[in-house]
Amino acid sequence: MDLDLIKIDLNLFTDRAVIKELGTLMEKKNYVKKSYVEAVLKREEKLPTGLNIGGTCVAIPHTDPVHVNDAAIAVARLNTPVKFHSMIDPIQELDVKLVFLLAVKNPKEQVDLLTKLMALFQNISVLKQIEIAANKETIAAIIDRVIC
Amino acid sequence: MKKVSILSVCGSGTVTSSMVAGKLKEKLREKGYDVFTTESRPTEALNLAKSGRFDLITYTSPLVPGDYGIPTLNAFACLTGIGEEEFLDNVLKTIEKISADK
Repeated sequence: MDLDLIKIDLNLFTDRAVIKELGTLMEKKNYVKKSYVEAVLKREEKLPTGLNIGGTCVAIPHTDPVHVNDAAIAVARLNTPVKFHSMIDPIQELDVKLVFLLAVKNPKEQVDLLTKLMALFQNISVLKQIEIAANKETIAAIIDRVIC
Repeated sequence: MKKVSILSVCGSGTVTSSMVAGKLKEKLREKGYDVFTTESRPTEALNLAKSGRFDLITYTSPLVPGDYGIPTLNAFACLTGIGEEEFLDNVLKTIEKISADK
């Protein structure tokens, strides 16, 4: 997990701002192409990615692999929740504190990683650990432990 | 091992459908099924379903209305983990029914 792709205690107030913030971090380090952020924003409008995991809500914005150079995951922990629409019921708005921006390069080859990521989003105790982690290093260690 | 072919459908035909596919492969292998999956977007699903290559469809993005000719199951439970056991049971029952009908 690249520490430069983790932002904690962010003060942002819209889903778009969070996606831009994290996407720009990915772009700076060349994980994604210039087209990536706009593509994620567009997709999020049509196919939102908020998930309610038993009361704790997360969002997993992503887009087509053509916009990605290298697979990566970026994490934002927000000071105050931001509204994301629900993937399952797009009319519904969820209060999201943790955002995992995904850059997926080759889904076929990354099924294993994707399955582990899914296990991460679904594990409430892991999500709670990330919510209270003291610093970026702790968050990176928690995520590495789950996905490696 | 018995073979099952599943069409996994999500919004962009990549990320979420691959997550669901990975989960199905893992869980159904434990039950003695060798699972083949193809990931697709909702707009491609009807044509793929009609190809006759698939036993069933799982989806995390609404399917375009149409006659798919094979069972279609909503896989949202796989995304949140809530109700996942019932979803997997349902998939298993569907597969068993298909095998019995063949």
